[in-house]
Amino acid sequence: MEANQNDELYPIAVLIDELKHDDVLLRLNAIHRLGTIALALGAERTREELIPFLDESVEDEDEVLTALSEELGNFVEYVGGPEYGHVLLSPLENLAAIEEPLVREKAVESLNKICEQLSQPQVEESFIPLVFRLSKADWFTSKISATGLYNAPYTRATPPSQESLRQHYGQLVHDDTPMVRRQAANNLAKFIKIMPATIVIEEMIPLFQHLAADDQDSVRLLTVDILIAIAEAVPKEQQSSRGVLLTALRSLFEDKSWRVRYMVADRFEKIAKAVDEEVVNRDLVPAFVKLLKDTEAEVRSAIAGQIPGFCALLERETLLHDVMPSIEELVSDQSQHVRAALGTQISGLAPILGKDETISHLLPMFLQMLKDEFPDVRLNIISKLELVNNVIGIELLSQSLLPAIVQLAEDKQWRVRLAIIEYVPLLASQLGVKFFDEKLSSLCMSWLGDTVFSIREASTQNLKKLTEVFGVEWANDAIVPKVMAMGQHPNYLYRMTTCFAVSTLAPALSLDVIEKSILPMMDKLVNDEIPNIRFNVAKSYAILIDTLKQLPEEGTVLALQKAGTPSQGCQKSHELITKSILPNLEKLQQDDDVDVRYFATTAAQGFTDAMQT
Amino acid sequence: MSSGGSDLDKAIAQLRACRPIPENQVREVCYKARELLIEEGNVVTVDAPVTICGDIHGQFHDLMELFRVGGDVPDTNYLFMGDFVDRGFYSLESFLLLLCLKVRYPDRITLIRGNHESRQITTVYGFYDECLRKYGSANVWRHCCEVFDYLALGALVIGASTTLTPTDGPPAPTNTTQLAPLDSEIEIETLNAANEIMYRYARDSSQASNSQQPSTQSPSASSPTIPTPSNIGPAGTSATSSSSGSPGTPGGAILCVHGGLSPLIDTIDKIRLLDRKQEVPHEGAMCDLLWSDPDEIDGWGLSPRGAGFLFGADIVKCFNYKNDLSLIARAHQLVMEGFKEMFESSIVTVWSAPNYCYRCGNVAAILELEEDGSNAGFVRRSNGERGAGAGGWILGSNVGPNTSNRHSSPGAGNGNGNGNANRLGALTDSVPQRRRDGPGRRYRVFEAAPQDSRGMPAKKPVADYFL
Repeated sequence: MEANQNDELYPIAVLIDELKHDDVLLRLNAIHRLGTIALALGAERTREELIPFLDESVEDEDEVLTALSEELGNFVEYVGGPEYGHVLLSPLENLAAIEEPLVREKAVESLNKICEQLSQPQVEESFIPLVFRLSKADWFTSKISATGLYNAPYTRATPPSQESLRQHYGQLVHDDTPMVRRQAANNLAKFIKIMPATIVIEEMIPLFQHLAADDQDSVRLLTVDILIAIAEAVPKEQQSSRGVLLTALRSLFEDKSWRVRYMVADRFEKIAKAVDEEVVNRDLVPAFVKLLKDTEAEVRSAIAGQIPGFCALLERETLLHDVMPSIEELVSDQSQHVRAALGTQISGLAPILGKDETISHLLPMFLQMLKDEFPDVRLNIISKLELVNNVIGIELLSQSLLPAIVQLAEDKQWRVRLAIIEYVPLLASQLGVKFFDEKLSSLCMSWLGDTVFSIREASTQNLKKLTEVFGVEWANDAIVPKVMAMGQHPNYLYRMTTCFAVSTLAPALSLDVIEKSILPMMDKLVNDEIPNIRFNVAKSYAILIDTLKQLPEEGTVLALQKAGTPSQGCQKSHELITKSILPNLEKLQQDDDVDVRYFATTAAQGFTDAMQT
Repeated sequence: MSSGGSDLDKAIAQLRACRPIPENQVREVCYKARELLIEEGNVVTVDAPVTICGDIHGQFHDLMELFRVGGDVPDTNYLFMGDFVDRGFYSLESFLLLLCLKVRYPDRITLIRGNHESRQITTVYGFYDECLRKYGSANVWRHCCEVFDYLALGALVIGASTTLTPTDGPPAPTNTTQLAPLDSEIEIETLNAANEIMYRYARDSSQASNSQQPSTQSPSASSPTIPTPSNIGPAGTSATSSSSGSPGTPGGAILCVHGGLSPLIDTIDKIRLLDRKQEVPHEGAMCDLLWSDPDEIDGWGLSPRGAGFLFGADIVKCFNYKNDLSLIARAHQLVMEGFKEMFESSIVTVWSAPNYCYRCGNVAAILELEEDGSNAGFVRRSNGERGAGAGGWILGSNVGPNTSNRHSSPGAGNGNGNGNANRLGALTDSVPQRRRDGPGRRYRVFEAAPQDSRGMPAKKPVADYFL
């Protein structure tokens, strides 16, 4: 029996030993194993021995304390369930006062977690007094923690307690130190969300006004979110009569600190959605225009990001007459970051403006921005063109923008070229074969020989998509000869493009083309002097085998997949595998180069495996 | 090694995503890499075509950019001249990725040692701290340092073509006048990632052509004026008249080394005799190879770095002549244009870390050497050493008998009046009559990867940033 007792004591002994160990890592490990230890001890001894012990061990490295704060949040089950949950409050209260913000954050998180599980009497008797103690503490760290602890108990408290919670929060808002006021402002928005409108109007608006008039801009900028929360809580029809709100709003727009204006700009759409229409038209439209012309580039970038969201809320007339001129000015903004931000957003205006206005207002802007000297601007425009396409149709888009796009296809920034390449199949499908052959075909082929490897790779993908659009016969005439010609290039890096193209094109080609054009070229490349080409041939063979296995005499694998009618191939396609591919693969499996042997073996394996199953 | 195994492929995929692999996997890869590297000589022989890269310095995303521009492993053959680690934020991922690729495709990628591949240097310049931060212990650093000791000290590229195939593409608007016509013998071509040809220099058969320095952009030296076939015939196509009928004659080997030369090393065979499997010493030949720099001086000079030496044009030319080299490629020094040829193109610095230290504003370059098609007889073994078929290629051996035929002054370059028996025939040709023509050199210049491809949010201040 005594030995048994010792066994039971052993874990706590180890824990205490390790908690006092010199090595931080060991102490940290011990903390992470707290749950196991508590389980071994049982709920009662955890409450009576472990928790008091932890209560006293707040003198440690921050790392250990952070872990402890986090662990305690999951401890309710170990102390005997929610009815004993309140015993955990005491150590966490100490942790919530620690200097290191990380420790406090975790402690607050855990406290809120525990509060959710407490009964109403427990909240009233234990939790709320704890919040008050922290709120009235001498040192600001406790008060900062306190600001995050009001939400959880508030919804579960009796009306008198709720009132005193609000009073205490008010004191935090009026605190002397900006650190506390900042956190009070930060948490006020959330606090407001759980209150009825009348209380918000009577008690919270004054708190907001106090913070909005703070002399620290770091406090004021946080009031934007509070304003949104208030506006969302107060029914729209009551808003316009609340003069104070509007005054506060106006002063935020015109705050002398750009950081505050940045916050307003960043949240503009949210603000607009929270207030009623009258306020939008009377106050927000001029404010929006003003922010578009702000002296700080950061602010202009932020408000540029709100353009589609905000403009969607406006009436057409207002948008066209009051807002658009200022947006158009941004196209030639001094700051490239502003122009880039505009580039990502401006296409979003197309659906709002409709076809005609897009043509008259947006297209000129696009044309100018496509010529912007900063590549990000060009890239952003290109990557969002689809939105515009949906509105005005590809024909108009291509007529007006094609010259600019063709120019971009030779852009210095290879990522811009890449974006264009991705856009070409869409253009092609809308333009039709003739137009494409005239205007874009040579462009697509030139990408095959681009100096940047990624472009060459993307260009083969592009060819596959084009084949899907224009059909096998077109591909056979227009693409295949040029791809095969690359196989004769003296530089192995460019010869390789042929292999890549074969691999990507194979599923889009017909049996005839593969037999007459592709396989003869592969026959040549299989004897290439450079091993890199030979093993890429092996890789292409793997895909060709896979394709041929499914290929009927007419049609392509891709078409079959789309139609959902898998095929087992035909006799001729199987013959091609065994006669034109396997002998070459066998040869490659005997190659002197190890990588060639590897990829050839893999390709051959793919065939035999498939035959067996 | 062809059975690369899916574990290794997974590790490569994970590292490509810039996520470190677990410690035990690092240990395993390092062990395999050591097994592989121990078989390599101090000077690894590499067949053209190959792409030569300089310092990486832990700039992982720029290494990815390099692969995007130059092609991926195993498709493109690479030779990295050291300094994979330190300074950048992702030394660990960069080095481990290169090492995994080496283990997976030993014949496609060659790694040689830089001065930063050392215990002492990495403890000061970031790699040690990075390992400690990412793994919580120095074990991974220790594993990597053991691999460092086995990295080769240099590489010898053979079979490089003396001329380039001109690349299609529009000329860069600023340099149109300097492009050599497409039908001339192209010796140097510089391409930027804008799909433009920045420079193209023809090999000039009537005068010393190797004096162009792209960084100085002197148009007179590029002499695009003599493209007529009668003039190029001898300098280029195959030198059939004198020596051998094999097409595409090799113009001598290219030595790749991280730093430069050493006063203790006069032949490449002497590098082969070093005991390299150790921490980089503070002095001596091994130290010099990793630390020295070329400089505009005569003979040898003290290096301001405190290790290695400075060496002048005469040293390089003498060394190249004695060892039958056409070019020395090295890294080790930041050059704003990404590459810099010196001493009448007898040595080139290649730098592959764009916007070095994320602040220098430089571009990076890689150097592509094309195949000349005459190396078909050589078969590489997985351990990177040459098979029996190439046993005869020992550089020292074909130096001796011909010295009288050579130009006594290296400065005279390849200015041979007869313009005829100018090129070495096959490797067996033992009557070189002039300084080796440099290999055809294609420099691909590229810029740092853009912010948003670095896996970090673009420079847009989040609202909370103020708090």
